[in-house]
Amino acid sequence: MSIINDPSMKEIVIDFCNEAEELFDQLEQALENLEENPSNTKELEKFGQIIDRIMGAAKSIGASEIALFCELGKVIGYKSSQVKDIPLIEVVGAILFDSLHMLRKMVTALKLGDDKSMANLNTKAFATRLTWLSAKFKDIDRASCAVDNLSQSSIDDIMQSLGL
Amino acid sequence: MTLKADIKILIVDDMTTMRKIIKNMLTQIGFTNITEADDGAVAWPMIQNAIKEGSPYEFIVSDWNMPQMSGLDLLKNVRATEGLEKLPFLMITAEAEQGNVVIAVKAGVSNFIVKPFSPQVLKEKIDKIFK
Repeated sequence: MSIINDPSMKEIVIDFCNEAEELFDQLEQALENLEENPSNTKELEKFGQIIDRIMGAAKSIGASEIALFCELGKVIGYKSSQVKDIPLIEVVGAILFDSLHMLRKMVTALKLGDDKSMANLNTKAFATRLTWLSAKFKDIDRASCAVDNLSQSSIDDIMQSLGL
Repeated sequence: MTLKADIKILIVDDMTTMRKIIKNMLTQIGFTNITEADDGAVAWPMIQNAIKEGSPYEFIVSDWNMPQMSGLDLLKNVRATEGLEKLPFLMITAEAEQGNVVIAVKAGVSNFIVKPFSPQVLKEKIDKIFK
């Protein structure tokens, strides 16, 4: 049973939500800074780093939809930080603002245990939009943005082949 | 070898949620002497002080992506320190990229675990590290 569905782990889920909300404020600040100066793409790199931290914890508690949003946001943030096309960066900023808004709603629903609210968010349509945007940067190589993450067993095989 | 329950463990992760999850798992496995740090930059002086005090950490469980000092940089610091060349160091990450695994192995990681993971997987890795 994942942590999110384990009543005895409710405290950890609430902690996650509180922690995520604090980091959302940092994400919002990064996007506001980008909005003021779209050529300052370091803010997109910062966005990627912060949302990456939320992603790991979301995966660990079993909040898969939140983790997916974070994963797409991370890839878009990291990769778009390397482009110089200002109109595209402005689109990225706007969509990331929207995804942040959606993430806040998802985390609030999780915190309140409000499954109905979560179901009404239509996250799948939004995830499709994020996937479409991330595909715009598919030709950009960037560490920490694996297209296909390896499974633990594949990692174990690599470790073994490297002598561990 | 049978691992002592009171082996001195340091969990390093910037997310409180993750530290709680990992501590919970380690406690389930049977470990009792667990300390936490919220960044590599916090952990590193703790590791150095523990050596000075004659009670060094015996096992480090660290996240990779942290805001001030990454798990990789912490690992490099540890491995560059006399006496810590063999300190068991388990890296935890949400990034399951081949490149990252190779980098971590080259830096001297003892094992590598990908989020999300279960207490069973964590125990397997610990058993492998300390076998």
